[in-house]
Amino acid sequence: MCDVQGKLVAWLDHELSSDEAATVDRHIKECRECRDRLATYKQVSENFDVHCDAVVAGKMRHRVSRWVPVLASVVVAAVVMFLVFPQRRIEPPPVLAPTLAATSVPVPAPHAAEMAPRKTIRRRHAVPLVEEQVVKWQPTETAVQIAIPAEAMFPPGAMPEGVNFIAELSIAPDGSVQQVRLRQ
Amino acid sequence: MSDESVPLALPLLRLAAGSSEVTTLYRELRKPLLRYLVCLGLSSDEAQDVVQDAFVSLQRHLASDGKQENIRGWLFRVAHNQARNRQTSYHRRFIEPLDGEMDFLTDDATPEQRVLEKEKFRRLAAAIRLLTESERECLLLRAGGLRYREIGEVLGMAVSTVGDTVERAIKKLAEKCNV
Repeated sequence: MCDVQGKLVAWLDHELSSDEAATVDRHIKECRECRDRLATYKQVSENFDVHCDAVVAGKMRHRVSRWVPVLASVVVAAVVMFLVFPQRRIEPPPVLAPTLAATSVPVPAPHAAEMAPRKTIRRRHAVPLVEEQVVKWQPTETAVQIAIPAEAMFPPGAMPEGVNFIAELSIAPDGSVQQVRLRQ
Repeated sequence: MSDESVPLALPLLRLAAGSSEVTTLYRELRKPLLRYLVCLGLSSDEAQDVVQDAFVSLQRHLASDGKQENIRGWLFRVAHNQARNRQTSYHRRFIEPLDGEMDFLTDDATPEQRVLEKEKFRRLAAAIRLLTESERECLLLRAGGLRYREIGEVLGMAVSTVGDTVERAIKKLAEKCNV
């Protein structure tokens, strides 16, 4: 075993005193084994450096890639929410201005289901009051207003001279007449 | 310049000079410090935090006329101690292998070369796992460019002990890796 064997790494690292370094210098010129050892230690040191760089690069990349799926899923979720649940606005029902023109407006035929009398269903167990909520949400304002002049309602000559009026009917969305008003 | 302005201006000048010195040191030592801390087992976020804290401490140290020699060793010591203070994460991960992903091979390497290189570094990673804590710390600080004296200051070891530890660690790795 060579005397300088325990100083080869320190020699590589330039950590020996000048006397010790000179001794190692002389020895490695003559000793092939120690030259090979030095080459090996140098190679191991370089590999250790490369390994450290790979560790750092791997951890730094993971740091970025950890955020990418989180960010991507948030964006996808936002897009899905936007597409599946479009923004719903509850628009107020249109309030028709009273028609002053002397023309008749056809009454839309009410739905058969709407015309059918509401039947109270007695349930044995409690259920959510879905039906009542739907009813509550129906607009209570007038759906249709009709103005009918008197001459359109009666045959010619039936109305006395000088008497003229317009009948205004306000019909609710369920088809019932809300209000009847006669005006001159 | 009036006489009254001198005492006011001097600390500002000193602070400005200190700040530029810290900035230069930050540029020079940020990467080696990060590499040391990450290889020690901290996450990249923790390592960044520790490096920031270490430089804030350095700024305070210089502002309070602290010792200005061997700042590199001082910074590594502060960073090392702060990493140690993060006991939970540090100790949990310190024993984890330094087995980063081996993606340092160039694209023009043949498949055979890639296999051989991967195998070589897999053996190295396994050998590093078998080192003692102080051997690994010595090698990491040495890889960070620290002299044996600085490593001794960081780890609280004598210079001769550092030399022996580094020598022993390198020999272990060479033996296990059959380089």
